[in-house]
Amino acid sequence: MTPIQFLLIFVALAILFLYLRHLRTRLLDRMLLSLLALGAVILVVRPDWATALAQLLGVGRGADLVFYLGLSGLAFLWMGLYSRQREMDVRLTELARRMAIFEGEKPKSKPRKPKAKRP
Amino acid sequence: MPPPARIFVIVPAYNEGRVLRASLKPLLGTGYSIVVVDDGSTDNTWRQLASLAVHRVRHPFNLGQGAALQTATSYALEAGAEYILHYDADGQHRVEDIPSLLEPVLRGEADVALGSRFLRRDDLQAVPFSRRLLLKGAVLVNWLLTGLWLSDAHNGFRALSRAAAQKIVLRENGFAHASEILQQIRTHRLRFVERPTRIRYTEYSLHKGQRFWHAFDVLVDLLIKRVFR
Repeated sequence: MTPIQFLLIFVALAILFLYLRHLRTRLLDRMLLSLLALGAVILVVRPDWATALAQLLGVGRGADLVFYLGLSGLAFLWMGLYSRQREMDVRLTELARRMAIFEGEKPKSKPRKPKAKRP
Repeated sequence: MPPPARIFVIVPAYNEGRVLRASLKPLLGTGYSIVVVDDGSTDNTWRQLASLAVHRVRHPFNLGQGAALQTATSYALEAGAEYILHYDADGQHRVEDIPSLLEPVLRGEADVALGSRFLRRDDLQAVPFSRRLLLKGAVLVNWLLTGLWLSDAHNGFRALSRAAAQKIVLRENGFAHASEILQQIRTHRLRFVERPTRIRYTEYSLHKGQRFWHAFDVLVDLLIKRVFR
């Protein structure tokens, strides 16, 4: 095992640990991430498997395949986060709006009548 | 003709403390109800309103002009508004234009009346050339996005019936609300007309008004909305 393999395995397991420990999300998400981490560790330990798979798909090196898939995955993640962000914005706006209207102040004096003359 | 207090003039204001009182002054004598939404200003906008006979509502932080309009609309509807007028805080609209803008809505001939600075020759001449170009570009974009061909775009002067104001719900917080209003006019099949209004261009309003790059922001906002909905 080379040092980089140790490092990558450490990173994958650390992310998995932090995710499972601190983000109590749905079971499905947790299983998915565990599988991803497992896959990552396997590919780090046996890079030749990635290369074999890559050649099967018409990509030269295993690292390239991982790069392409990783990028696509990130794009998906970004889209998900972005649409979530927009949802949050809508909720935040609605909350601020209710608050603003609730605390709104009516005119202290009555609006002047049309053509009222000033003394 | 309803009592003037049932006609609500709504004014979104963001850092307009310098001119706000002067802009509101001509409105105060009309008897209309006035709602000013301070959109999280960092200047003295809120304090400027304290002594005026207006309803004042304040966003806890800046949300954008579209959001401020929607807040003012919700407030006015809850306060019993029968008609709602959109009015800019920078003093670019003229109070004298209100009756003619309202007229078709009051008569029940239209649900929404939109101000246009391109219907009368002398109104048009008041528009600086660079603005004309930009606005006509926006007219084209609006047509592509909403299918409505208007003579003017992004004219903040509008009159709405209560029913129309209830149907049009703005979700675009930023400047894309102008196109969003047109989209919703179309989806709700509201009847609309354009009415001639004059825009008073001052150095202040030109500076505060939508700059050229805003156009791109608006376009991006609208396109994103098409994707994420």
